[in-house]
Amino acid sequence: MRVLLVEDDDLIGSGVEAGLRQAGFAVDWARDGHAAALALDTTEYELVVLDLGLPKLSGTDLLKGLRARRNDTPVLILTARDSVPDRVSGLAAGADDYLGKPFDLTELVARCRALLRRAHGRSVEQIYYGELQVDPAAFTVTRLGHNVALTGRECTILVELLTHQGQPLSRARLEESLYGWQEEIESNAIEVHISNLRKKLGASVIRTIRGVGYVVDKL
Amino acid sequence: MMTRSIRRRLMLLVLASVTIVWAVTLITSYRQAEHEVGEWDNGRLEQAAGTLLVVDSANLKKLAEVGFIGSDDDDSRRIHTEETSRELQFEVRAADGQLLASTPKVPLTLGADALVGTSRSGAYTLEVDGHHWNTYTLHSSVTGRSARIFERVGGRSNLTSDVSRRIARPLAAALPVLALLIWFGISRSFAPLALVSREIGARGADKLDPIEVQQVPDEIRPLIDALNKLLDRLMKSFLRERAFTSDAAHELKTPLAAIKVQAQVALAAQDAVEQRLAMQRVVEAVDRSSHLAQQLLVLARLDETSLTELSSVAMNTIARNCIASRQASGLPSGVALSLVQNSLMSAQADPTLLQILIDNLLDNALKYGSCNGLIEVAIFQEQLNPVLSVRDNGHGVALADRVRLGDRFFRVLGNRESGSGLGLSIVTRIATVFGAHVRYTPGIGGKGLAVTVSFPSAGSRGESFEQADTPRHFDKPGES
Repeated sequence: MRVLLVEDDDLIGSGVEAGLRQAGFAVDWARDGHAAALALDTTEYELVVLDLGLPKLSGTDLLKGLRARRNDTPVLILTARDSVPDRVSGLAAGADDYLGKPFDLTELVARCRALLRRAHGRSVEQIYYGELQVDPAAFTVTRLGHNVALTGRECTILVELLTHQGQPLSRARLEESLYGWQEEIESNAIEVHISNLRKKLGASVIRTIRGVGYVVDKL
Repeated sequence: MMTRSIRRRLMLLVLASVTIVWAVTLITSYRQAEHEVGEWDNGRLEQAAGTLLVVDSANLKKLAEVGFIGSDDDDSRRIHTEETSRELQFEVRAADGQLLASTPKVPLTLGADALVGTSRSGAYTLEVDGHHWNTYTLHSSVTGRSARIFERVGGRSNLTSDVSRRIARPLAAALPVLALLIWFGISRSFAPLALVSREIGARGADKLDPIEVQQVPDEIRPLIDALNKLLDRLMKSFLRERAFTSDAAHELKTPLAAIKVQAQVALAAQDAVEQRLAMQRVVEAVDRSSHLAQQLLVLARLDETSLTELSSVAMNTIARNCIASRQASGLPSGVALSLVQNSLMSAQADPTLLQILIDNLLDNALKYGSCNGLIEVAIFQEQLNPVLSVRDNGHGVALADRVRLGDRFFRVLGNRESGSGLGLSIVTRIATVFGAHVRYTPGIGGKGLAVTVSFPSAGSRGESFEQADTPRHFDKPGES
C-alpha cells in the first residue's frame, strides 16, 4: 500500500513516515508542494497524507490541482490549523478526512486504513476471499479458520492483489506497493514472495499472466 | 467657587451675570432719575418762590394759614396725600428783613438777616434740628422782597425710590423664573451628553466598534472622534494580541505533534535502532518547544518592560562577550565568526537586552548562513549614529521576504531550519525599546543577509523612537 506523505517539518515528517511504515505502508515523503506534485504525477498512490502549510505550493492548492486533474486518490489533511472553518474549507477543497496536530499516531493509521478500505468499497477491515480471511491491519490470514503464517511483505502483496481482484498487477506495480523511495528493492523479490504465497495458500489463488503480471480472479 | 457640575456652574454664572447687570442698570438708572427729579424739584421750588414774591401781603397771610403745595402735578398731589412732609413751608420778608408772612413750621433758627442781600439766593440744603431741608431763596429786585421755600428732604427723594422699587420688584420676582428657564435650557442642551454616556456605558469589554450617535452637538463631536480613534487603536491592538496568541498556540502545536508522533513510533518500534532514533527526535522536539517558549517569554517580558531605563553601554564589549560565549560552546565546523570593525562605540541601551539582541542575530546568522560560512559582527559610526551590524554569506533572503522578517512567526518558506520565527521580531522589539532602527540588506559580498541596527545619536532619541514604534504585522506565514 503506497502512501504519499507531504510534510515540511522534519520531526513530524520522520515520525509519521516511521509510524506508517510500522503499519505496513510503503511511504514516500515529500517535503514541499512541488516535490509532492511531481510525485503525484509520476506514481500511483493509494493515499495522500497532506500538511497544509507547505513551502513553494500550499497544501490547499496542491489538493485543488489534484482534484482538478480528476485524481480521486483519498487525501487526509494533517494540520495545526484545525478550527471548524479550517476543517470545512479543507474538506470543501476535496479532502476526505481532516486531523489536527497534535494527533495520535494510532488514530492517523486507523483513519488511513478506513479511507483505503472505503476507496476499495469495503466497510470492514477484513477481506473475505473463498476459504481465506485476511486482516490487513493485523497482518493475519486464516484459511478455513486456521492461521496461515505470512511475512509482512507477503501479506502486503496478497492484500494488494485481493483489493484489485480481476485486475492484473505488474511486478513493478507490486514493488511500488512494497517499497518507499529510500528503500532498496531486492531483485526477484516479488517472484520469491509469490512462490511463498502459493506454497502457503495453494497454487490456484494467484494466477500468472505471462508478460503482464499476477492476478487474483474475481469469484 | 469651582463646582464640578458644568450645569451648576453655567447656572450660577448666568444667574450671577444677569443679577449683576440688572443691579448695575438699576443703580445707574436710579442715579439718573434722582438727578432728573432733583432738577425738577428745584424748578418747582423756584416757581413757588416766584409766585410768593408777586402775591400781596393779605393773600400771603392767608396762604401761610392754609398751607402751600408747590406743584399742581397730579402725581405729586397723590404723593402729597400720602406724605404730609411734602407740604412746603415758606417765609417772605420785606427788603428790610421784616417778616411779612411765614408758615407755622418754618425752622425758626434762621436769623432775619439771613435773607437779606442777594448772596444766598438759589437752592441750598440746610440742617435744622436734625432734619434736612431743601431751601430755595429768591429776591425780587422790583419790590425788594425775598421769599424762601422750605421742603423736608425725606419727602423729596420718595419719588425716585418709589419708582425704583416698582421697577426692581418684578425684576426680583423674575429671577427664580429665569433660573428655572436656564436650568431647563441647560438640561436640554446636555441631553446628547447623557445619550453618549448611555451608549458608552452599555458597552461590554469586547465591544470596540466606533460610537455611533446621531445629532451630536459640535462641542461633543471632538470628544466622540477622539474616543472613536482610541477605540480603533484598542481594537487593532486587541486583534493583534489575539492573532499573536493564536499564532503562538499553533506554533507550539507543531513541536508537540512531533513529540507525540515520535514517542508513539518509539513505543511501537521493533528494533532498538529505530527506537533510539525516535527517542532522539523526541528530545530534539522538546528542545524546540522549550526554545519557542523561551522566545515567547522574552517577547512577553519585553512588552512588559517597555520603559526600561537606558544607559550608555559599550557595544563592542557586549558583542565581544556574545562572540566569545559562542566560540566557547562550539561553532559548527567551518563557520568563522569574528568582530571585524571594533570601534569604541557606546549607545543608549540596556546591557541585558542588547545581549539578547546580539544573541538572536548570531543565532539567525548561524542557522541560515552557509555551512562553511563567514559571520561578521561590525560596530561603527554612520552619520553620528552608533551602528551594530551582523552579516553572513549564506543563502540570504529575497527582497519580498525581507520586509516581513521582523514579523512574529514569519519564517521564510522552504528553509529547513526549525526556528521559532520569533528571533528577528525580538530584535525588532528590542530595537524599538532602544529607539533604534533595523535594516535588512544583502550580506558579505552581496550574498547572505546583513542585519543593521542603527542606534539614535545622543540627543535625537525621541524622534527615531516614534519611527520605530510603527505597528507590527501579524500576517500569518501560512498554516503548518
